[in-house]
Amino acid sequence: MPSTALALTPGLASFLKSLKTNPIDTSIDNLISCASKYLPQYFFEIATDTVARLLKRRQIRHSRSCATATAYLLLRVISACRTTDAAKLIERVQSVGRRLVAAQPREMVVGNIVRRVLGLIRDEAEDDRDAEFALSEASESQPQTPRVTDDPSVPHERDTLSLRHEASERSSSRPPVASSTTTPISMFSLLSHPEPEPSLPGSPVSVSPSGRVLSHGPNKDVRAEVLDGIGEIIDELGQVDDQIAAYALDHIHSNEIILTHTSSTTVQRFLLKAAAKRKFTVIHAESYPNNHEATHATVSGNSGGDEEILSTESFQKPLIALGITVILIPDSAVFALMSRVNKVILGTHSVLANGGLVAAAGTRVIARAAKVHQTPVVVVSGVYKLSPVYPFDFESLIEYGDASKVVGYDDGDLVDQIDVQNPLYDYVPAELVDLYITNLGGHAPSYLYRIVSDHYRKEDISF
Amino acid sequence: MATATATPSKPFDIVATYNDLLRSDPDLTMPIAAIEALVLLLTHSPSSTISETLDLLEKSTTHLKQSIANPIGLSAGTDLFQRYLITTLQRPGQLGPAGDFNAIRAHLLSNGRLFIRRAKESRNKIAAFGRGFVRDGSTVLTNGGSRVVASLLQKAADEKGGPSAVRFRVIYVLSPSKGDVENTSADAEGMETVRTLRSKGVPVATIPESAVAYSLGKADMVIVGAEGVVENGGIVSRMGTYQIGLLAKAMGKPFYVVAESHKFVRLYPLGQYDLPIEQHVLDFKTEEDIADQAGKDNTKQSEGAPEVNMVDASESPLGRSDVVDFTPPHLISALITDSGVLTPSAVSEELIKIWF
Repeated sequence: MPSTALALTPGLASFLKSLKTNPIDTSIDNLISCASKYLPQYFFEIATDTVARLLKRRQIRHSRSCATATAYLLLRVISACRTTDAAKLIERVQSVGRRLVAAQPREMVVGNIVRRVLGLIRDEAEDDRDAEFALSEASESQPQTPRVTDDPSVPHERDTLSLRHEASERSSSRPPVASSTTTPISMFSLLSHPEPEPSLPGSPVSVSPSGRVLSHGPNKDVRAEVLDGIGEIIDELGQVDDQIAAYALDHIHSNEIILTHTSSTTVQRFLLKAAAKRKFTVIHAESYPNNHEATHATVSGNSGGDEEILSTESFQKPLIALGITVILIPDSAVFALMSRVNKVILGTHSVLANGGLVAAAGTRVIARAAKVHQTPVVVVSGVYKLSPVYPFDFESLIEYGDASKVVGYDDGDLVDQIDVQNPLYDYVPAELVDLYITNLGGHAPSYLYRIVSDHYRKEDISF
Repeated sequence: MATATATPSKPFDIVATYNDLLRSDPDLTMPIAAIEALVLLLTHSPSSTISETLDLLEKSTTHLKQSIANPIGLSAGTDLFQRYLITTLQRPGQLGPAGDFNAIRAHLLSNGRLFIRRAKESRNKIAAFGRGFVRDGSTVLTNGGSRVVASLLQKAADEKGGPSAVRFRVIYVLSPSKGDVENTSADAEGMETVRTLRSKGVPVATIPESAVAYSLGKADMVIVGAEGVVENGGIVSRMGTYQIGLLAKAMGKPFYVVAESHKFVRLYPLGQYDLPIEQHVLDFKTEEDIADQAGKDNTKQSEGAPEVNMVDASESPLGRSDVVDFTPPHLISALITDSGVLTPSAVSEELIKIWF
């Protein structure tokens, strides 16, 4: 039955397949009407276990795969949860989320997706509650909104790029109106009365964080709305590289020398987009020992092996096919070549709330070398990698990988006598990054807090 | 309320009330004391129209600011209160323009205590947020007598032996105590916190300000308090914080500021000498000036008391230990506030939320 079928899944693709094709999947929908409460419960217990196990064993590794798996799982969890009560949905999602995060605490994107789904549920629940006050709310928040976004919120580091971001943000699916009204006005809550006066529910002062009560009454189908929202998140995950690549021509100019690192598909897509129009040179650091094979494959264009994860990307033409000169260098040559590089473009594993990032080992060396040579460092990353977690302890974020990649176990004498470590990630502080390009546009590292507060609810930061 | 009956005949003295409040409760911060003083003022005032009230508020605030040597922290409270009052009064409803003014007064009074309670609660909230910063085995360098920093460290120390036991050490930078001229035996500011921490089993080293650079190599992070957090994300804090910030930056140590969000001030200082207060820290003198000064003092003393007071006021608007400096935002890694861990650039947004 499903437990064995799912437990043996080797990776993400088969997990997703099993979600879609598993006979129990269709039977759930049929059986729900028979009020069989145990089956859906049983199903997502198993599914959660499977994802947790995949994460733990690192059978799902790439950030995007983890994000996709989480989003699909939550989609199943919510559709199996036959309730319109937002509070129950939140509880359910939180418990699933906690298990996933516990399975792989260093994989930030899992928590990010869970937080976004929680935010979706809360938004829907509050929309229902606020619907009746819509008129008074709208009249009060409309004149306020343009000022909130237009005021120089980052006075000293605001540049044209963040302005451009705002334009794109305004046109994006999340209107700024929502963010300005849903975030509680923190300092005023110090002064306002504890219980919100029922006669003035729409006014900003009475909206204290404690006063937010989720609706319990009969309302429209919160669940359906949330499922739509998760569908949008999944769509976003699918389009994110293309959206980021759309900014490529603004940042890569003719005859520039670009340095990059690892086989990040986001970076490849970005460079390919620019290569369609311009001629430039790419210096590719091979990122030994954890990613060098994939990097070599990316450069040469014959990607073998890991087809399961790179299934769509493996159809991608390599840069050399578009007439771009690609120079593959060992990681140790980065500093020597940095003086000739015009721009460093890096992929990342996750981005933290303070503007720092956790990226493949070797990234910090490159960023540091770029700083010494005053070379701009651009990080391309989907918004889904942006985590509201503050890096209290940098060491705890670093994951260690297979030491045999550095010294093979067949080299017995050496292995016996030395301690080999193979960190997979580096923490790169915000000062070393000049610009982030996300699917919303380009942002200064100091501006990321704003995107964090737009995407995640404060109450969900530690769920 | 007890204070309402205390001075029925005398005109309400906002400055004295403010000072009394600060003295009576050592846990009270300046902005909250200012708010409380203004609430008391309004409950005493006979004003019955909105513009009269706002006018009174404006005048008293100005008066209060002028009479206090360093009004930066205080102005955060008065601004916040003024803003709150305007929003409340303009809002339709019972407390609005059409409402009964006595109701407004009653509302303010009933909330008066609440303000202070919330302000103290926010300290606990910060301690909860900031707990993650004090890691097991870390060494924290701190300075001054900030109550928030003290409560944060104590909270972390309290967990010792609990499920999330944190073993940490503290390097406490002590500056010469207040009024060191008259009372040399007095404890340096922060000595109380040092004792509390030590009693909880936290190893504390106390160093003078001159040893900060020397000791910083042993510290993992710097945590300081602030008197006011300004618009660009910098902080106004006791003298010596700026240099600690510079040193921490130079040594690559994270520099965290702990402050309640009611300390956010609408102020945009461009540098050390752009603060709206007068501090005679730099006082260039030649031998001749000193002789002049001595001569002047002698004549003053023979002339009489009132003028001596005047000279005193102009000479040292601030006591030596009350002087502040400005730590610019690029030295600050993060601000730990009751609304979360903020980057310096997020401060302006918090301020904008209130004002617009």
